[in-house]
Amino acid sequence: MKIHINGTVYTINGENQANITYALALHFEQPQQSTFAVALNGDFIGKDDYQGTSLTHGDSIDILQPIQGG
Amino acid sequence: MSLNLYGKKLNSRLLIGSALYPSPEIMKQAILASGSQVVTLSLKRQNPSEQSGQKIWQYVQGIIAEVGGHLLPNTAGCKTAKEAVTLAKMSREIFQTSWIKLEVIGDDYNLQPDPIELLNATEQLIKDGFKVLPYCTDDLVLCQRLYDLGCEVIMPWASPIGTGKGLMNPYNLETIRLRLPQATLILDAGIGKPSDACLALEMGYDAVLLNSAVALADNPVLMAKAFAQALQAGEQGYMAGIMAQRQTAHPSTPTLDTPFWHQNS
Repeated sequence: MKIHINGTVYTINGENQANITYALALHFEQPQQSTFAVALNGDFIGKDDYQGTSLTHGDSIDILQPIQGG
Repeated sequence: MSLNLYGKKLNSRLLIGSALYPSPEIMKQAILASGSQVVTLSLKRQNPSEQSGQKIWQYVQGIIAEVGGHLLPNTAGCKTAKEAVTLAKMSREIFQTSWIKLEVIGDDYNLQPDPIELLNATEQLIKDGFKVLPYCTDDLVLCQRLYDLGCEVIMPWASPIGTGKGLMNPYNLETIRLRLPQATLILDAGIGKPSDACLALEMGYDAVLLNSAVALADNPVLMAKAFAQALQAGEQGYMAGIMAQRQTAHPSTPTLDTPFWHQNS
């Protein structure tokens, strides 16, 4: 299946393991060393729910990080 | 006098942004020079290999710790209530604060807030426990609605973001102050020079929030000091009680015993 992470398309084989934690591993080399928050299809997903949130074909994940702001 | 933001006592009446500075070091020096204890940040998609956000986050954390301050995350870039609510929740998880500078933009040209989406998002976020600081236009009824929803702090614009045009509609801003005496009012966006901030405080506004005016100055650190002094002058001017304007001239010097008084008449 295909998912989008920050607008980039990823093709995933072995759909049983596809959850938010899996997506983070695709995006970051070392997720545990980064500061970020996640939304799935426009809805916030808390850290406690990464493992239990399964992904399906066409899902869009936003992984956002702090940046300067006014 | 201290500024009270949702129960937090602050020594400065300036809230300052962290964007657009020539360098992180100048940003730090400017924030320290301003005396501000509230620094705004945002969230965006970023290239994971660069980790630039991580660096900025750590840098700002250091500044906040140094000044004993608070982070104020914003929802910049959001155009709907749903987007803003989602981004606010993401910010709360990362920054560990229930404060949110709520921005919901309705027009790309002047970055004017969308009042309908803003009210919708405010209602949802307050129900979810957020302390909302809404960025809004200088519309009295909109400000009243935000206050009625539970916003203790309301942030009408001076003029569009980044323009530096100052207070476009002083009458509107004065009316909001007059009609919402219990609200904490922060003038947000469009401030260009220290006298704009001074004028806001002379009107009775509680604070100002700015970024570009300092970050884009030729000397951001010096400009930050100038804003700190302008805010102090404005606050003291307001507290001292500004004289009422008069339609006609009144001599300051006593007229009794004026020399040469009508000597040729």
